[in-house]
Amino acid sequence: MRDDPTVVDLVTRARDGDKNAWDELVERYAPLVYSVCRRCRLAQPDIDDVGQSVWLRLVEHLPGLREPAALPGWIATTTQRECFRLIRATSRVEPVDFEQAPDVPEQAIAEEEVLRHERKMILRTAFAELSRRCQMLLGLLMQDPPAPYDEISRRLQVPIGSIGPNRSRCLTRLRQTPALARLAADGPDDRTRG
Amino acid sequence: MDPEWHDDEKLIEALRDALASTDDVPPAFVEAGKAAFAWRTIDAELAALTYDSAQDPLDALAIRSESAILRSLTFASDGWTVELELTPNAVLGQLDPPEVGTVTARGDGGKLAEAEIDELGFFVLGPPPNIPYRLVCTTQSGTTILTGWITP
Repeated sequence: MRDDPTVVDLVTRARDGDKNAWDELVERYAPLVYSVCRRCRLAQPDIDDVGQSVWLRLVEHLPGLREPAALPGWIATTTQRECFRLIRATSRVEPVDFEQAPDVPEQAIAEEEVLRHERKMILRTAFAELSRRCQMLLGLLMQDPPAPYDEISRRLQVPIGSIGPNRSRCLTRLRQTPALARLAADGPDDRTRG
Repeated sequence: MDPEWHDDEKLIEALRDALASTDDVPPAFVEAGKAAFAWRTIDAELAALTYDSAQDPLDALAIRSESAILRSLTFASDGWTVELELTPNAVLGQLDPPEVGTVTARGDGGKLAEAEIDELGFFVLGPPPNIPYRLVCTTQSGTTILTGWITP
């Protein structure tokens, strides 16, 4: 995702005043902002405050953003900083672990969440590239608890015996989608190892 | 690719996690982010909420028993503080350090109210907007300070 052309395009368009491109950026990165806030144990009203600050700073920051590929990192770090500022300013949240070593976990949380977010984005993109049938099958298997094979057989109109082989076929296709293949082409990627 | 993803079970687990996580984010949070685009033309210093009497049980009591003040708020940026008292008829404010200028209450839809800031930094903005708003203080010397959201 380092040079994700979609992100570069969205940033350029948003910078030129395209509201749709901005909306898409927000859809894409709201989960990242949200997860960083949750890691800081903020309550909902505080998460909303931090979110507002982050989006406003991003609006301001867009024209000066030289490397759109660095956007996730920028968003996570800014969110992190806003969280800590809020915690320090209001002490509505007990700043237990953070006060002692404010800088170290600050960076660590942001980086960790960026990686998690990237992995999720890649998997979601890959999933969207699968055929409708594979999406349905994997969707049923991913339910918690997974749908029983006889129900899957009934709903997808396939023999029970074919579900197992199809499951692994769909997962193989998932690994071969451009989204995942691009990662593989980069060579062994230690950054995303979880 | 994550080496773990060669394993069917691990891959399906990671996929489940990836597809589920967007559901955790409240739609209102995403919508607020989209609305922030309307503020892109305002080049301002952001003043964040540092005090809210509504979050302070003792103070909320004191304020209620005392006067017409419903709530007091403080917003601060690196160089500026905006102190506010919300009353039923007006928003009373003070900009610190004091400087002459104008103050505007703005919602996502645009301007809601406007007032002058006097040489002591005081302003009276009324009637108070009845929808969420933020204050934009523009000083004579050309600084613009934007507060966080105020929800009446």
